Amino acid sequence: MKLILLIVIASSVQAATFQERADSMIDAYAHYTGKGDYGYAEIAARLERHEQPKWCSKKLEDLLAAGPTGDMFWMYPVTAIAYLDQGQLSPDARQALRSAWKTYMPYRGDTENHFLMYYTCLYLMSQYWPDAGPESWYNGKSSQANMEEARQWIEGWVKLTTTRGQGEYDSPHYMGVYLMPMSYLAAWAKNPAMKKRAEMMLEYLIADYAPENLDGLFVGAHARIYEEQLLERWNGVSSDFGWLWFGLGHPLKVPANYVLFYLVASAFEPPEILKNIATDRSHPYTHYERKRTRNRWRFYDDPHGPVYKTTYVRQEYAVGSDQGGALQAIQEHSWDVTWHVPDARGVQNTFFFVHPLSSMKELQTFFVFPPDGAIEGIIKSKKTYDSPDKLLGGSDYEKIVQDQDTLITLYNIPPGTRFPNINGFFSKDLSELTEDPSGWIFMRAGDSTYIASRPLQPYVWKPYGESKRLFSPYLQNGVVVQVAAASEFPNLDAFGKAIKALPLDFEVSPTPKVKFRSLRGTLIEFTFGETPVLNHRPLDYQHWPLFGGPFLHADLDSESLTMTYRNMKRTLDFKTLTIR
Amino acid sequence: MTLCKSQGNGGTLRALATQQIQSIPQACPLISALPFLTLLLLFPPHLQAQWTLAACAAVSKDYVVGAKLPPSGLFLKTNEEWHHVGFNHPFIVAVDYDPTDPTTLYLAAGNGLFRAANKAANWTQLTGSDVTELRDLAIDQTDPKTIYFAHSQGLRVTHDRGATWTELATNLHRHYVEAIRIDRTQPKRLIIGGEEGLLRSEDSGKSWTLAGASGWAILRIEQSPHDACYWLATTQGAGLFASHDCGKTFENSGRIGVNRDLYSISFDPTNPKRIAIAGWGPGVAISEDGGQTWQERNHGLPRPDVWSVIFDPGHPGRLYASVQEESLYVSDDAGVTWKPAGLDGSVARSMRFIP
Repeated sequence: MKLILLIVIASSVQAATFQERADSMIDAYAHYTGKGDYGYAEIAARLERHEQPKWCSKKLEDLLAAGPTGDMFWMYPVTAIAYLDQGQLSPDARQALRSAWKTYMPYRGDTENHFLMYYTCLYLMSQYWPDAGPESWYNGKSSQANMEEARQWIEGWVKLTTTRGQGEYDSPHYMGVYLMPMSYLAAWAKNPAMKKRAEMMLEYLIADYAPENLDGLFVGAHARIYEEQLLERWNGVSSDFGWLWFGLGHPLKVPANYVLFYLVASAFEPPEILKNIATDRSHPYTHYERKRTRNRWRFYDDPHGPVYKTTYVRQEYAVGSDQGGALQAIQEHSWDVTWHVPDARGVQNTFFFVHPLSSMKELQTFFVFPPDGAIEGIIKSKKTYDSPDKLLGGSDYEKIVQDQDTLITLYNIPPGTRFPNINGFFSKDLSELTEDPSGWIFMRAGDSTYIASRPLQPYVWKPYGESKRLFSPYLQNGVVVQVAAASEFPNLDAFGKAIKALPLDFEVSPTPKVKFRSLRGTLIEFTFGETPVLNHRPLDYQHWPLFGGPFLHADLDSESLTMTYRNMKRTLDFKTLTIR
Repeated sequence: MTLCKSQGNGGTLRALATQQIQSIPQACPLISALPFLTLLLLFPPHLQAQWTLAACAAVSKDYVVGAKLPPSGLFLKTNEEWHHVGFNHPFIVAVDYDPTDPTTLYLAAGNGLFRAANKAANWTQLTGSDVTELRDLAIDQTDPKTIYFAHSQGLRVTHDRGATWTELATNLHRHYVEAIRIDRTQPKRLIIGGEEGLLRSEDSGKSWTLAGASGWAILRIEQSPHDACYWLATTQGAGLFASHDCGKTFENSGRIGVNRDLYSISFDPTNPKRIAIAGWGPGVAISEDGGQTWQERNHGLPRPDVWSVIFDPGHPGRLYASVQEESLYVSDDAGVTWKPAGLDGSVARSMRFIP
């Protein structure tokens, strides 16, 4: 059985066109013959294929009889099933589905993606049963009231995203739960404006990913990422989408169900300009984005602080960062270097440092938790949160500046802070790692990239699975990172000599500060807690664009996005809901 | 029928049947002198049977994210048995009721404010997408069309039972509000607590004045049912704060709970001198002298980490306490001894007796 599935997947990797790739992903669910089944996802896939309607009806009834669970993660599959039914389901199955929306009350959630899934599904199911009265719904509101509430929230989200950026931005995992609702609305919303808005948002979201991928890997700073993908950059939902849209990299062994539900709805194929932006790495470039923090319920005057992203990409590697700080809860990833490998499966092609923040204040900023029991509750699902050797999470005690492929991160950790150390991830897939007497560490990353890092304080090595962790237990600390293409130097020694020749001055006490002339000639002066100065000019956060760089252009509050590639240009104007 | 006028609030004993327990009138001289006899008068057997304990509880012990959630939400205790009523919603944090129709409950929940009518059989969400993660609620006992709720971004009020809402926290420095109580004797007076201390309004929330605990996060506020000018508030880390001037000012009230977190306050409706507070660390602490001194009473509790505590108005000396993911516990001797009382594995954020 497993062999059959593997054959399906193996053949899918060879699929040449978008449609072929899409078909292979749907078939992985529709024609699954392994042990057990994929539940709602398999029903949706088979209904989309118009196959085995009796099995679909029976399975749906069984699942609903067992009791819905999962809140908005239950809403999205059953909404798709309702729209994919098209006369295939039995009356009993349809009745069971209808009853579930009266007897089960999904939690609306506490993140942006939760709300988007919740309101998208509520919108579409209200549209599906347009005349249902308050007695027919779990929340005691009529279809008309539910649809209006959902419409307002969805439109508000689109406006906020196209003016101030997403709050849960650039997540290699959760990107799926933004794409999926937009795909649903693009496919099934009857209101032409809602449908058009969703189609445009699909382009917008894909554009958000396209310049920040390297071989399909979602690079740079992320609002949220899971640890398996943090280290093995291929191992997540973004690999499915990168492969589906652009044929980049490799999909997951079994495609994530987010991509399945994306496909059974609109199956939106990105326009040619986005394919070019996503795949052309012939010239290095720096891409800028402005995003938002997650909702900050406490401790801040502004619930949405700015996030300033910088991502440098070239065919050999990418360096990406935000400005540092606890911008998100628990799963933030603020910076890294990701390098090209021919096949990223099983490879930990990434390099970064973190301060392992575990803080009640962080949790109370982003959640309404009471002070006791919160961390215990968090580690039920995010198991490393309260661990000193963790590699995931942002910290208020980390500040970052990046210029092209040079990155400096400083740490100023108050005394008494839980886990007063920093961790550096040194992958098993680095080679020729050399600790130079100068304090620099040089290493080869893949065949095409050299990385130099200069920890500002002493450190020791600790194992981290097959890889290792640099552990430095100092409150004032920092790291200077310079990356270059191997092709720029005869060998790693030459790279090291060039790095050592670069002027570097630093202090760690009383406040960490660095002055460094980068390999690209930029003088970077950076003091913890102060605006970084590049070539004697303070970094201009004030005018940071929503999107900036060679491919994407959007001003803050613009409600528009212009994509450019060579002589191609495409503008999404959300004020007029037009594409030019 | 007016049996006994209170000094502070103008309430009546008759109101016992329809008002929340914190609204029990100020003790008249008869009550002060003969509490036991008074209790018999106050709570004849038929009246005792009318109280129903409502608990807002999530059964979270051994729960793993992704698994099916055990029954959580609103539980009602009738005939010594717990019944999970309405929807499975683990984020219900507070319950209150319509004094003119106690079968209609109001629930502050993660999804918004709900009216749970017909003994919680019929739920209606009264709020929209613009509020989330509710923290507390309070119904004006003199005008039950007026309902306030605290939420993650402020404080809202309705004057038409939830048809329309007005945000009241727009001019606050920080908008997060954790606790809200209405002065039962002067309904325009509100006391709220957020991340920066206690605030008082004398004009139904139009304007606010700092009342105390400046800089401390407030977790709970209650007004004494016996003395309308006596208020208590609990904090995250700073212990207990008390007001003896009708909520104008709150002062720190000793060492109880300092450096720990206190989540709950219950004034004993049958004993003006007895008060219970609960928290993580102190567990259940009882004062028998109106809040002057406190004694931790955790003997028989599996751990001193308690989320909520409430006196039973129908049984003098009976006290319920929710112990972190253990169960609800009950004491019939004001906390001297305890025994389990159901809701195994639960966390009850708050409890209320419903007439």
